[in-house]
Amino acid sequence: MTISKTFPILAGLALIVALAAPAAQAQDKPRSGGILTWFDYGDPGRLDVHAESPLVVQQATAGVYSGVLHYDPADPSKVVGDLAERWTVSPDGKTYTFHLRKGVKWHDGEPFSAADVKASFDRILNPEFQSPKCGASLKPMVAGVEMLDANTVQFKLKFPAAPFLPSLASAWCRVAAKHILAKYGDLNQPEAQIGTGPFKFKKYERGSVIEWEKNPNYFIPGLPYLDGVKQFILVGGPTQVAAAKAGKIMLWDAWPPMRKTQADELARARQDVDIYQASINTIFLIYLNSKKPPFDNPDLRRAVNLAIDRQELVAKALEGAGVPCGILDPKLSGEFALPLEEVNKVPGCRQPKDQDIAEAKKLVEKHHPNGVDIEVAVRSVGNYVDRAQLVIAQLRKVGIRGTLKTHESAAGYAAWGKGDFTLIATQDRAMDINDPSGVFHIAYTTEGGSNYGRMSDPKVDELAERALKESNKDKRKQAYWELQRYILTRGDTATVAVAWVEGWFFKDKKLQGYKPGLTTYDNNTFMKVWLSQ
Amino acid sequence: MRKTLTMLRRQPLGAAGGVIVLVLIAVAVLAPRLAPHGPKEATFAPYLAPSAEFPMGTDQLGRDVLSRVIWGARLSLYVGLVSVLFGITAGSLWGAVTAYLGGAADTGSQRVVDSVMALPPIILALALMAALGQSVNNVIIALVVLLTPTAARTVRSIALGIIASPYMESARAVGASNRRIIARHLIPNCMAGYIVLVTTNVSYAIVVEASLSFIGAGAPPDEPSWGGMLTAGIQAIETAPWMIFFPGVAISLAVFGLNLFGDSIRDVTDPRLRGGLG
Repeated sequence: MTISKTFPILAGLALIVALAAPAAQAQDKPRSGGILTWFDYGDPGRLDVHAESPLVVQQATAGVYSGVLHYDPADPSKVVGDLAERWTVSPDGKTYTFHLRKGVKWHDGEPFSAADVKASFDRILNPEFQSPKCGASLKPMVAGVEMLDANTVQFKLKFPAAPFLPSLASAWCRVAAKHILAKYGDLNQPEAQIGTGPFKFKKYERGSVIEWEKNPNYFIPGLPYLDGVKQFILVGGPTQVAAAKAGKIMLWDAWPPMRKTQADELARARQDVDIYQASINTIFLIYLNSKKPPFDNPDLRRAVNLAIDRQELVAKALEGAGVPCGILDPKLSGEFALPLEEVNKVPGCRQPKDQDIAEAKKLVEKHHPNGVDIEVAVRSVGNYVDRAQLVIAQLRKVGIRGTLKTHESAAGYAAWGKGDFTLIATQDRAMDINDPSGVFHIAYTTEGGSNYGRMSDPKVDELAERALKESNKDKRKQAYWELQRYILTRGDTATVAVAWVEGWFFKDKKLQGYKPGLTTYDNNTFMKVWLSQ
Repeated sequence: MRKTLTMLRRQPLGAAGGVIVLVLIAVAVLAPRLAPHGPKEATFAPYLAPSAEFPMGTDQLGRDVLSRVIWGARLSLYVGLVSVLFGITAGSLWGAVTAYLGGAADTGSQRVVDSVMALPPIILALALMAALGQSVNNVIIALVVLLTPTAARTVRSIALGIIASPYMESARAVGASNRRIIARHLIPNCMAGYIVLVTTNVSYAIVVEASLSFIGAGAPPDEPSWGGMLTAGIQAIETAPWMIFFPGVAISLAVFGLNLFGDSIRDVTDPRLRGGLG
């Protein structure tokens, strides 16, 4: 072959390569534009991220606000500055000084300053103010917040606390504008959704849709890439799956996860999605009201702890996607979690269930020879009603006859908060941060924000406090093991850990730059997300 | 016997309906003996396809669908019969008495009936269930509220015809008291209409109960209600179609049978058609 003959071929190949290269690069290079669609499992109603606890409230406002810190959207295991450019820690580990970004503007054009950070955290930390997420995690650690100058703010801790930075980076610890708090008194109304985040709050149609639009003055130039985000309010599994199958939503990465059967249906309907199984850092709990009969009686609480077949609940209600029994999940908490081999030998968790059921039956008969009738409450969300039916079936075997009472989501939370229930058959509690302290301070300690059973055990409080304050990793691990062993062997707690929930999720293949957070709340501002088409 | 055979020949569909109704009643009454497992017993593997062991398969929690369909007949029939008995009886008495009294009592009561009937039945039932809470007995109360005005309106029109008849006039002329006229002449003559209302509305009540349970506002979810089973079934319509198929068939058969039977009763009690039966 002569040069003259080969040249046109080589030239053609070079041209193809030259044309193809930018196209390949374009696939990797973020492009601006497009609307991301996803969904909220319910209607948030109230929007005050400092005062509320349902996931839908956080989801509804996530991209509107910024935090002092946040989890890195590119590496969700790392805590990085958000409104803070950098920070320093005093040698005793009790004072954190944050240097804030300059020139940041609120969505209404007002300038942002350290006064806004102080106003937000004074509100969250106020003992009179119920802040079930950010406040509940920060109040035990933080003594106060001081503004040093317009761009510097200082957090003073009660003790050197390892979970402080991860807690401050939580998606619930958002900075609100001082002038907005002064004007509206709270953050419940759509008009009060003025943040510094990558998106502006555009529209809220009750029961239908929540929309954000791009903030052109976002403090990180070039971001966000998306023109907006549309969150449909889709209530109930069939509606959510139908929307996913029809291509109406591009992302399903929050509670409730899809079940295996639903994921299979979606896989058959759509080839343009990546479906994956993952943990959502959420624990499935059962609560017994320790202040009301019959569960003010420790024997009856013990009977329920013994009767509940966690493995069956995971196998049937979660279709196998979950880790039964552990108060901490080794997959999420690593060495802080008591080994599952040990956990699975504890009464209540051991298999087969015969011995536990026989013991539970005896305990019930001792106080109620003809069995006992109770009301079993549950919120009508996700597959809670299915789970509750299984719980009822399991309790019936030991002489506890349950009648199911369903609550609409918000009404259920209101009833739990007032202690207006006998037994809550199922309640998933997502962790606010990926730290072993979370579940204990949420669901087991006397002051726990979700200790709906209202049980108070000074030893649990003391052990949880000791583990929280411990900065040596080995000693901290030992403290958490002791705490888990104590709760498991005590066997009559009003909070019954059933399982750590896993499930199936999906992401549209054209969605780029998205990485799931380590909790169901994190990494949903979509600041670096873009659409390839 | 001959009369019955003649009737069967003239009303074969009604007879078929009657057989279905009889089977439904038998299944409901004998549910504890017929069902191979407890309706709430979740001891098997979930989503098992129909087999010799589980002729209708198992549901998402590992409960035997056949047992739940059988117990569902009991719940449907209980809700249907009790609500119709109370609702139609109360409505019929209301319609007959106010028609007899006439004047302001009749006009006022008809306006009440108008206002209740102006509301779409399922919306009214939903509102009542939201106010009362989820339970089987509350479904019955909601159905009674739905059925009473319908019965009052229908029986009133029958009663007006009877009131205008000569024997009613004679009764008044001989000095019979209102109570006696209503009890001895008016109500017995409204009975044919009453029976037709009862038979035709049982199926309606069953459908309303199933609809309420289907949208999660009827019987509590753990009760073996056919409507509730449909709701669970649509969540797994591709994976386990038997979960929706068998309760669906049960509802259709029950409603079909009751309607055929009710229509036949209406035909039999209609004097114009009855004449032909001779």
